[in-house]
Amino acid sequence: MIEIKNVTKKYGDKKAVDNVTFTVNDGDIFAFIGHNGAGKTTLIKSIVGIHDFDEGDILIDGMSIKKNPVECKKLMAFVPDNPETYEKMKAIDYINFICDMYDVDIETREKNIKKYATLFEMEDKLNDTIDSYSHGMKQKIVLISALAHEPKILIMDEPFVGLDPKAVFDIKEVLNEMVKEKKIVFYSTHILDVAEKLCSRVAIIKNGKLIKSGSMKEIKGDKSLEKVFMELED
Amino acid sequence: MKKLYSLTRACMTSDMNLFKIKTKKDGKFSNKILVIFIALYLMFLMWSNANILFEKMAPLHLQFIVLSLAVFAISFMTIMEGVYKTGPLIFNCKDDQLLLSLPIKRSTVLFVRIFKFYVFELMFNSVFIFPIMVAYIRWADSLSWTFFLTNIVMLLMLPIIPIVISCFIGAIISSLSSRFKHKNIAQIVFPILFFIGLFYLSFNMGGFYEYIIKNATSVNDLITKIYYPAGIYATLITDFNVKDLLIFILVNISLFAIGILILSKFYFKINSRIKKVVTSKRVNINNLTIKHNSVYKSLMKKELNTFFQTPVFIVNSGFGLILFILGVIILSIKFDSILLGLTDPNGMNISKDLLTSNLSLLAFSLIVTTSYMTSITNSVISLEGRSINILKSLPINVKTILMSKVYSSLLITTPVFILGTIVLAIRFKISIIETILLLLLSILVPLVSHFIGIIINLKYPKLDAENSTEVVKQSMSSFLSVMIGMIFLIVIVILITNFAGSISSVLMLTIATIIHAAINVLLYLYLIHKGVKQFNNLSV
Repeated sequence: MIEIKNVTKKYGDKKAVDNVTFTVNDGDIFAFIGHNGAGKTTLIKSIVGIHDFDEGDILIDGMSIKKNPVECKKLMAFVPDNPETYEKMKAIDYINFICDMYDVDIETREKNIKKYATLFEMEDKLNDTIDSYSHGMKQKIVLISALAHEPKILIMDEPFVGLDPKAVFDIKEVLNEMVKEKKIVFYSTHILDVAEKLCSRVAIIKNGKLIKSGSMKEIKGDKSLEKVFMELED
Repeated sequence: MKKLYSLTRACMTSDMNLFKIKTKKDGKFSNKILVIFIALYLMFLMWSNANILFEKMAPLHLQFIVLSLAVFAISFMTIMEGVYKTGPLIFNCKDDQLLLSLPIKRSTVLFVRIFKFYVFELMFNSVFIFPIMVAYIRWADSLSWTFFLTNIVMLLMLPIIPIVISCFIGAIISSLSSRFKHKNIAQIVFPILFFIGLFYLSFNMGGFYEYIIKNATSVNDLITKIYYPAGIYATLITDFNVKDLLIFILVNISLFAIGILILSKFYFKINSRIKKVVTSKRVNINNLTIKHNSVYKSLMKKELNTFFQTPVFIVNSGFGLILFILGVIILSIKFDSILLGLTDPNGMNISKDLLTSNLSLLAFSLIVTTSYMTSITNSVISLEGRSINILKSLPINVKTILMSKVYSSLLITTPVFILGTIVLAIRFKISIIETILLLLLSILVPLVSHFIGIIINLKYPKLDAENSTEVVKQSMSSFLSVMIGMIFLIVIVILITNFAGSISSVLMLTIATIIHAAINVLLYLYLIHKGVKQFNNLSV
């Protein structure tokens, strides 16, 4: 479970995230939506321990990311909006590097690397250096490395950007599989129709403040998520 | 023209923070004070050294030679530096996609790139030449307004010829490197070959110099024949005339324009070829090696990969190592003739007994000098760039991340220093105890340098740099760590020269070992406390 409790993050005098509180339960696919600059990436980076925050706390399975960062991070995998990797590394070395950091045993990593590399059609391209890849291929490598260590919580910032339709379809399948195993998927997106179909819960952030949070049904009612979002934005 | 101005302004603003309008209170005021302090310190050093030279030249009325020599030395330095900088500064820039897609000429894009290079070198050169110009005022036989006019023109024109030359050499090297599968290796090897060739030429140009000296009509003519700007500068200082000044300006501007025009013909081709990525042979996943490594081993492998894949990083940080190897070779082969030179009564006149009984200190001095020039870690944080977020999201202690960077740097330096020390110990027949102490020092001294580098880089990170050259060569971190290393070096050399002879070399090496071990402990404690906090606060 992810518990976000009164989190505030300031950049100078400006509050990028302002007193945000919500909970993501096991088995949730949680969509985090908001306009550009609303504070989505800032909050996501705070959850995964990249940013510190000024007030409040974030608990991962009851552990504070501030007090116990390493143990919290062991449960999570993060897929950033821009596929940030070590460009001069071979893809296989990068995936191995991430697996080493999570201390993944050799059988598990072999099984998962093969599984996801095949799924994303990268099985014969892992020997290339990452700088030779397109944006979408880099994103696939980040996804393979994130999934290879079987995280309990998958946190993604705009995961579908730059991916081909087949890869988007495959990811959705993977996410559904994770949810069946009572794992958590938390991601930010601008693609509202995908979020509407895929996610069980949603939170909408505007100017750093949480303006709506709850189950997809509660939030959208009979309307489309896009319509609700546009109304809230106005 | 409007397009050119807008483009230049945009590039300068984003790359060098020039012309930046401040909208809020500047939190990095202390950094700016530090930059100004260092620049003023360097200027003071140049000014005081110039005064010493002017004092010697004044009785002969040859003060202008100091100015000419300064122009020559600074230009040479700019070319040497520029050869490494042009590759990443002119070619394969991050904003290539944006600029090359805009409806502007390729020569305009190239102009902006070279102009940025020019502005940087103008500032850099001014720190060195300006104090010498000021010092000249005190020693000049006579002064008029023409002196000031000449100096203003000289300041502005000084970087032009060197950057045009280095751009051409850089373009040739980039072009040659781009033809190889292993571009990175080629980018290291070609500049080294160029410099070896340059040194070989300069040592074998006796006949050429003789020819010039024989055919020169005056000192000014002699300098002009060797390097035109240096000679014309001397002429304008001693015998000003408008015609020479105008020709000088015209020559520089023409060279700049012609250089850009010629380079722009090949710019796009070279740039495209550099960007071409060579993919490996397709290997099926079943044939790939999937290995399990410990966290430290994996992190160190990543660091070594970054080091060996970044040519400018290798050349810059490896400079001290190359000097150490050269020092070991020269001391081992030519020691007898060096000894003769040092003990020459008409030269340095150092006691032969003192030298031969303190050979371990000579080896120690070599280790110290080159170690403090080998600062690998001063760029390791900045080179992470945006990928610092990967490290920050991983379930590993920050201490582990930082120490893996120190250890991998140690892994690069230790074999070289250990091997060199063993060679020197055998050559100089150094006692076992001194050899053990030297071996310890060949680990401890570079370790101090590595700790200093990473601590400074955490204080002055540059995570948003356009390219690795900006990080390695133009960052506060790399500059400061070299300066601090130099301070350590000066202190140690002063201590050695003052105490050699009065206390035994074994005792001196023991004290040095204890002091270096203690400094390492202090730096380690600082790194795992303050450094960890600084790392956590890094953000891109």
